[in-house]
Amino acid sequence: MKSLQIAWKDTLTRFRDWKALVGLLGAPLIISTLIGLAFGNIGGLGGTEAPISNIEMILVNQDAGDLGANYEEVLTSEGLQDLLNVRQMNDLEAARAEIEAGNARGVLFIPAGFSDALIPEEGSTGEEAMSGSVELYLDPAANISPFIIQSIVEQITAGANTILLAAGVTADQIVEQAELLGPAMENLAPVLTAELQPENFDFSSQKLTLNKIEVGEARESFSPFAFFIPGMAVFFLMFSMFDGSRSILLEESRGTLPRLMTTPTPIWQIILGKMGGTFMTGLLQFTILVIASTLIFGISWGSSIPGLITVVVLTVFAASGLGALLTVFARNETQASIVGSAVSLVFGALGGSFFPAENFSGVINVISKFTLNRWAMQGLTTLTIRQGGFNDILLEAGILGAIGLVTFSLALWAFQRRFVK
Amino acid sequence: MTDTILHAENLHKSFDEINAVNGVSFEIQRGEILSLLGPNGAGKTTTISMLSGLLKPTQGQAYIDGHSVLSDAEAVKQTIGVVPQEIALYPTLSARENLAFWGKMYGLRGSYLQERIAAVLEVAGLAERADAKVETYSGGMKRRINIAVGLLHQPKVLYMDEPTVGIDPQSRRRILDTVMELNQSGLTVLYTTHYMEEAEELSNRIGIIDHGQLIALGSQSELTKTVGEFDIVRIGLEPDGLDYAALSAALQKIAGVNQALIEDDELILQAQEANAVLSKIVSTIDKANGRIRSIKIEEPNLEAVFLHLTGRALRD
Repeated sequence: MKSLQIAWKDTLTRFRDWKALVGLLGAPLIISTLIGLAFGNIGGLGGTEAPISNIEMILVNQDAGDLGANYEEVLTSEGLQDLLNVRQMNDLEAARAEIEAGNARGVLFIPAGFSDALIPEEGSTGEEAMSGSVELYLDPAANISPFIIQSIVEQITAGANTILLAAGVTADQIVEQAELLGPAMENLAPVLTAELQPENFDFSSQKLTLNKIEVGEARESFSPFAFFIPGMAVFFLMFSMFDGSRSILLEESRGTLPRLMTTPTPIWQIILGKMGGTFMTGLLQFTILVIASTLIFGISWGSSIPGLITVVVLTVFAASGLGALLTVFARNETQASIVGSAVSLVFGALGGSFFPAENFSGVINVISKFTLNRWAMQGLTTLTIRQGGFNDILLEAGILGAIGLVTFSLALWAFQRRFVK
Repeated sequence: MTDTILHAENLHKSFDEINAVNGVSFEIQRGEILSLLGPNGAGKTTTISMLSGLLKPTQGQAYIDGHSVLSDAEAVKQTIGVVPQEIALYPTLSARENLAFWGKMYGLRGSYLQERIAAVLEVAGLAERADAKVETYSGGMKRRINIAVGLLHQPKVLYMDEPTVGIDPQSRRRILDTVMELNQSGLTVLYTTHYMEEAEELSNRIGIIDHGQLIALGSQSELTKTVGEFDIVRIGLEPDGLDYAALSAALQKIAGVNQALIEDDELILQAQEANAVLSKIVSTIDKANGRIRSIKIEEPNLEAVFLHLTGRALRD
């Protein structure tokens, strides 16, 4: 099929152009590295400023004891001030409604008597004491923020548990040893027992610092690269897809497209070949970025290879279709270049290539859903951050596929109308 | 010349309000070189574009080797080879890669494709540089590969649209020689140019095209006969702020002077028996305070024909 010959020729010429290669592969890797080093804590080289900020969270603390206060203090501490935007509410149902309305990514519910349940009253058994629990409600529509919230809460909970356990074990051992030491020490036992009661510990004085944020079921360390590499990959993919589509106009002005049309090759095959070349270039670009980022930064693209292939192929399909559709309406290469760059930037900003789109609220959040970056990023971060499987990316795959199918078909039709005079 | 291989009948092409081609009709015999001679924008490329299936005629019909450009474009495209005015090649691919790609577009495959690539590289004289990227070639070399692409599938008719534009005289000479050699091997050529000398040297017949109309068609001798006894007199003038309009009007009043126009400080006159009226011409220029730099009298040629038919110089 001649379309494949044209597509292969385009891919070959693109990858032979070192200037184009810088844009295709160099820029996304370099910029991701710079952003990752600036915001992450990679190998101790970077800062520790949170790459993701102002995650909306609600705390419903009905506990009057120290443990509830401890959660509250850590969540509203200075160290998490930039990362979390914690609001306090009293009504759990109202707080959950905020998640459904898209105004919050997570709700931590600390029930009344939580501290009392964990810190046993005198005479009660340990089994009863450990039955208290907090409840965490997360936004299923978001990928990154809920996992950060979950990780922080898990850190606080783990820290509190460690202290409680250590305190209990130490008190029991000292009392036990005191009895064995003989009558001289007998009087110590009741004193120690009384002093080592957990309520005498000031949990709020414990410094539960956030050393790392653990996310996902696999509890992998959250790396900023897991967000920024896909973000930059999609962002630069858009550029290269617009650039690739623009090559049709370039071929028109250079005379190779008219010459192609004087060969016994149907026009639809020529256009399909040109668009196919853009698609192949994008596919190769994304594949190399996936491999390079895995080898260089060690980021995990998830455990679902079929899921990753599906998202990547459909993202490239949608991007190349959109690029072609916008190009077909451009008057010339310059106009196509300007429109392509503008759309790439706007889609990148609105679609979550730079900041998690799930943190957008209101109209911006709605508009964001009209960008293919949003769905591509959602699909990719589902795999890289949530470590989701094939079934978890079906919605994103469907939307990307639909965008690709519609834009590709329209562009194929419109290009034929444009060039057959 | 035994039979018609190309027949164009009343071709029209309009772009919005502009009539680029307006009722062009001609035939080309098998084995003939026919040149379409005309200034830039005359409609030569549009005519070739319609004959190659690139543009649909607004009106009219054309047949190439019996195939209609309207209803059997695929067969037409297989029959013709096209050498466009632009260097329509991929600069980052080598000549061999370019030829392989274009050959595949004509449906050539495998060893036959390789044979054809080798053959056309020989024609272009670039076999030794075949694996160098086209972007490293000189203008003339690019032009030769541009021609080689059009020969890959061994077309019956070769369209060459101003193939010598922008190249050095040596490369131009080589291309003209190639065209003549190809024609001697039996290839029919439709050649467009705005260089009178090329049309005169190459063509069996010449069509003069202007403002989208074919205003004359015939062999060079047939065309020059239409001018009759008119010679072309070229007089170079010193640029001294002459009133050219007044001078032109005065010169046309001289008996025997048919046309007088001034272009880039050169006076171009069409005159019957130029030697007889030359003294009157010089005298008129002198009265107008013009200073003569050079005088040249030319026998009737295609330029004279064009001037005679349009009232304008060919290079206008």
